[in-house]
Amino acid sequence: MIRLFNTLFRKELLDASRDKRSVMAGLYYALGTPILMCLLFSVLLKQLSSTDELQITIENAEAAPALVHYLASKEINHGEGDKVKAIRLQLSTDFQQSMQQGRPAVVIIDADRSNDRLQSAIRRLERALSQYSNEVAHLRLLARGIDPNLLQAIDVQMHDQATPDSRGGMFLGVATLSIILTLFYAAMNLAIDTSAGERERNSLTLLLSQPLSSLQLVLAKVVAISCFSMAGLLLILVVSKFAYGMVPWQQLGFSISLNLDFMLFAIVVGLPLALMSASLQVMVSFMAKSFKEAQTYVTLVLFVPLVLSMVTTYNIADDYLQWLPIAAQQQAMIAFLKGAVIPVPQLMVSSVITLLIFGVCSYASSRLLKSEKVVFSL
Amino acid sequence: MIRVNDLYKTIGQVKALNGLSFHADNGTITGLLGPNGAGKTTCLRTLLGLLKADSGSASIDGFDIARQTQQARQQIGLFPDPFGLYERLTPREYVQFFAELNGMSSQAAKLATAQVLSLLRMDEIADRRCQGFSQGQRMKTALAQAIVHKPTNIVLDEPTRGLDVMSTRVLRELLLTLKQQGHCVLFSSHVMQEVAALCDQVVVMAKGRVVAQGSPAELCARTGKNSLEDAFITLIGTDEGIAA
Repeated sequence: MIRLFNTLFRKELLDASRDKRSVMAGLYYALGTPILMCLLFSVLLKQLSSTDELQITIENAEAAPALVHYLASKEINHGEGDKVKAIRLQLSTDFQQSMQQGRPAVVIIDADRSNDRLQSAIRRLERALSQYSNEVAHLRLLARGIDPNLLQAIDVQMHDQATPDSRGGMFLGVATLSIILTLFYAAMNLAIDTSAGERERNSLTLLLSQPLSSLQLVLAKVVAISCFSMAGLLLILVVSKFAYGMVPWQQLGFSISLNLDFMLFAIVVGLPLALMSASLQVMVSFMAKSFKEAQTYVTLVLFVPLVLSMVTTYNIADDYLQWLPIAAQQQAMIAFLKGAVIPVPQLMVSSVITLLIFGVCSYASSRLLKSEKVVFSL
Repeated sequence: MIRVNDLYKTIGQVKALNGLSFHADNGTITGLLGPNGAGKTTCLRTLLGLLKADSGSASIDGFDIARQTQQARQQIGLFPDPFGLYERLTPREYVQFFAELNGMSSQAAKLATAQVLSLLRMDEIADRRCQGFSQGQRMKTALAQAIVHKPTNIVLDEPTRGLDVMSTRVLRELLLTLKQQGHCVLFSSHVMQEVAALCDQVVVMAKGRVVAQGSPAELCARTGKNSLEDAFITLIGTDEGIAA
């Protein structure tokens, strides 16, 4: 029993390792993603931390020199040329007069609100204008001997409990997801090649004519593919360690650093996922009638981990989803990186579910191989 | 020793096997002769347990393929059509893999592989990957795979298809050797010359059932014809789908 499995396993490993293109396709992901992430994070961090000068068109500026001066102190200026945003601030001609008479002076913001790229600039301008309006109003009240605080019925105080580490939640979500996805991408080509490919090359019927059980055959395939997934995982962990080390985290006051402990943790947590991913993709490939069909189905399957990860990272659904495979493993990885308490019960339950799915998919594949329709693509 | 008893099998709308019965004995070469679509491949697939018969039974060395599948399969060496080679493995790796699958220890498998490779004079290509092999080299690799574990029964599906004269001769000599060693050799074919030259027994198949079984001479005598080809046409009643 064991010897037969070993024979099958060694052959799968040998055959797959010589399929350089499939192996490399999986590893390119592991190699490239952290570097892409590193670039993406660097750009994002730069945008988050720096408030660039905002250039807009201010019409009739001479009507309200004080307001224009105030805006300039907030780095909002009139400009000309390419960098000017499509926002026009029109000051009414009777601005000065209205101000003096204590009537609301009209300013018009002329911009396209549906344009996503202008949203934050518009909000920034609105905020600055309302602050200016407040300051002037306060001064008016003071001049009339009224305490401006009367206008403030409640005083909202925000005590931000976010630590620098927790603020990096989004970054952690993306980083851990990219690590988990390796287990799927590294397996994809090999899973299709060893199942739908084996059938198309006519070696499947020959194998099934040998004295072995189809379950042994499926398990050997799944375990061999998992080995390559784990190799992908190891690679992405090492590459991530160096890539994330180069992101200018100090701007956020938080950092993602993958130490050896985390790598070991990720490998232990990833092992059941690798088995599940391989068995799932092998099953789907066997269900397809051809190589091409299998590619389509497997691509669809890759959507599942994405959805599960989104659900937890962005808190879309109920808490019970955090007990599901991938979601729980990802949360545990995030907790580990944050230095928070690892949700052990969730992690345990989801790992057991993950292994159960591996068992069910492997068994289902072995049943499929007993079906004449599947074996001969009838 | 292979026995097929009253097999019925419907695939889709087609009655592929329609009460098929025959037997192939040890120490003889039995040819399964029939026009295209007669059910030869279906018969062999059923014999290996890849297809389940609707009714009837097949046994190999007394092991029923439906109930004692693994034991039955252990008694068979299969030369399939198409060959089902692994392009990325070398013949040595490929043949040894199948030897081990059939229960040989890795040491014994290594030895048996070396023997069969030199028997088929494949030493030169033994450690080259199958990718880019000629049809003859592929045939030899498949043949080595089928006989490496020395099964009593060797089943070949259309073995001479696409082979040149030299390769066909290698195959023919090997089959005769196997016969002398007392193996049961069963092969399907629709090539008259091949069957006439090699077979001790011919099972003539048409529309999923046996039309006649006997030696080539017996079949000629029964139909009153001089050549097996004429006898064959008389037996199946048409000359559709036959290669001369």
